[in-house]
Amino acid sequence: MDVGARGQAMRGDAMAWNFKLLAQHELNGFGGMGEGMAIQIARDGRRILWLAHESAPKNFTAVDVSDPRAPKVVCQTELPQPYMRSNSLELTGDVMAVAYQTQKPGQSPCGFELFDISEPENPRSIAYVDASGPWSRGVHQLWFCDGEYVHMAAGAPDFQPRNQLDDQCYRIFDVRNPTKPVEVGRWWLPGTREGDTEPPPKRHPEGSDFGFRAHNTNVYPQRPDRCYLGYLDAGMIILDISDKANPKMVSRWDNSPPYVGFTHTVLPLFDRGLLVVSDESVVDDAADWPKLLWILDGREETNPVPIATCPPPPIDAFKGRGGRFGAHNIHENVPSPNAWFSDQVIVGTFFNAGLRAYDISNPYQPVEIGYFVPPAPPLSPTGSIQLNDVFIDERGIVYTVDRHVGGLYILEMEF
Amino acid sequence: MLHPFAPREMPFGRPVARPGLGRIPVTVVTGFLGAGKTTLIRELIKTPEAANSALIVNEFGEIGIDDALLRTCTENTVLLGNGCVCCAASTDLHRTLRQLFADRERGRVPDFERVIIETSGLSDPTPILQLLATDRALGTRFALDGLVTVVDAVHALSNSDLPEWRKQVALADRIVLSKADVASADVVAAVERILDRLAPQAQRVVAVSGRADPSFILAAGRDLVCPEVVRRHIQEHDHHHTDGYVTFSIRREKPIHWPVMQQSLDVLSALCGAELLRLKGLVNVRGRPGPVVVHRVQHIAHAPEELTAWPDGVAETRLVIIGRALDELRVKALLEAVWAFDD
Repeated sequence: MDVGARGQAMRGDAMAWNFKLLAQHELNGFGGMGEGMAIQIARDGRRILWLAHESAPKNFTAVDVSDPRAPKVVCQTELPQPYMRSNSLELTGDVMAVAYQTQKPGQSPCGFELFDISEPENPRSIAYVDASGPWSRGVHQLWFCDGEYVHMAAGAPDFQPRNQLDDQCYRIFDVRNPTKPVEVGRWWLPGTREGDTEPPPKRHPEGSDFGFRAHNTNVYPQRPDRCYLGYLDAGMIILDISDKANPKMVSRWDNSPPYVGFTHTVLPLFDRGLLVVSDESVVDDAADWPKLLWILDGREETNPVPIATCPPPPIDAFKGRGGRFGAHNIHENVPSPNAWFSDQVIVGTFFNAGLRAYDISNPYQPVEIGYFVPPAPPLSPTGSIQLNDVFIDERGIVYTVDRHVGGLYILEMEF
Repeated sequence: MLHPFAPREMPFGRPVARPGLGRIPVTVVTGFLGAGKTTLIRELIKTPEAANSALIVNEFGEIGIDDALLRTCTENTVLLGNGCVCCAASTDLHRTLRQLFADRERGRVPDFERVIIETSGLSDPTPILQLLATDRALGTRFALDGLVTVVDAVHALSNSDLPEWRKQVALADRIVLSKADVASADVVAAVERILDRLAPQAQRVVAVSGRADPSFILAAGRDLVCPEVVRRHIQEHDHHHTDGYVTFSIRREKPIHWPVMQQSLDVLSALCGAELLRLKGLVNVRGRPGPVVVHRVQHIAHAPEELTAWPDGVAETRLVIIGRALDELRVKALLEAVWAFDD
């Protein structure tokens, strides 16, 4: 019997273990979603999920998920230019920050925008910060959880990288007056900016030279003086930002080579002295395999030590399904009353291998405890699901999004 | 030795709401030749409660195996119209379970939600009960849901002298009494008395036309959460009928440090390993809000599992011990002697 021919994915069924699908919403036909997800409890009590789109024409979409089995789109906005993408957003209270990136350096507008979302149906722009410049593509990702500072991976009008791939550095904006954001600090890997006295970093081999630039810029209230920075081909970096005007590198851990870079997220688990680091797969058909979730001993912050990786999904089952395969975003314990917190379970998206959950109660032996792989959405350009990001609310409801067309999937955890 | 990241507040790993939560439950159905296991399973998997079951038949040649519903095909899994997976684990149950999960996570078989294993009529279920404790990889995927023994009311009296029959009954978490509708009331009463003595801890239900309540058979960890109070202690003169099988329960209100409890169970296994057939229950561990589930089958211990809360709100250690030629007073004295180090 040909088991492949009768495989579930071939038949169009979901594969799930310990995740239960409550609802899917294609977001009015614009279901290509980025990596910005945040929950707002609106003044009228509604639970609103804000989502950044992966690419134009849509900017962001707000979904009422008060009843997770019956999500309703309440707002969907447009980008002014087809070459823009929002990709990332975060919110504090009724203020939302949205990133804007362009396809090519030199295009504009790009930067970030603050919105008053007290009326979810009518987001109102409070401020726009332009980051366009000859070498800038604007803002790829941002972090805004304390209502005071926006941390971001961003180009700048005056930031000239030695290599164009290194265009986005770490920037900090003070938004305590949200109508007048002010840049208060900036850091880049020494040697990557034109004029640096340090030598440029050794490039990764051709085909895996993705750039020495910032990606996720996480700052938590447990350590407001630290930024946990994913820096793509430079690995993970811990920055001392006690003086925001002069960030200093505390430590750097880099798995590449022999791995192939694109370090994406650094999640500190403070009470346990652990760091969870995610790679991002960026090449189709598992050509950059393995893209992993790494567990690091972070008890001594100046010397992070890798101690395990989460068991990856089986490559033989996914490499031929189309699109990307491997780790990407993880639920980041965003310091919000509306976000789930766990330092025992890690939940992450793996593109065509769907959503995966790991029990890391013994961090030396992470154990997979659940997965959810929906079938390829209709009209998927890759012929597969490409789960891109995940957010879990404080009720334990899981929201995950497809990168191209599938939109939003809402799940329950059963572990 | 705990690893450096084991938080003091979570020495047993991540607490769960009920035993086995997040792992695929494995229900083992045993019973003597002709007891009605196949009929019971065939009826069970027709019910919505048992939808999406994977079925492992542990033997060739028994009645019903060539039935259209319980087909076998040597080592390969077969998809049936009702969504069940049926396979013959004639050689290696470990390998079969591993392959089943590997096929599941690759989408080669439907997302089965439980596994039902039908043992052979003459088998000793002990190795299957030990299976998930001895294979670490399997233990992260599957959790023992319980041993269900099917007892044929018509033939139980004649079979009850056979050692295989007695062990299957004595070890049971749950018992399904089959064919009670075709046996005389006197015979059924006599069988019930034997079961009272041989398996006083096991919950029982009577099957009607081969059917039993699916929620009774698929207990989802219920047996471990609320072990039945032993209904009747074995009296000396009963040993003739029970062939020395004894079942008793131990309770203790006072919380205990886990290392002391673990030590006491290890000592018990070391001194009484051959006679100690099963030990299961909940432990009131000092400093923990919920109970810790313990389960040992002879000398093999399943990994302790912490629950988030006491299922009945009563924080009290409660253990059920099933043994053969095991002296209840000696066991209690031995455990209490070790526990005294904690008092």
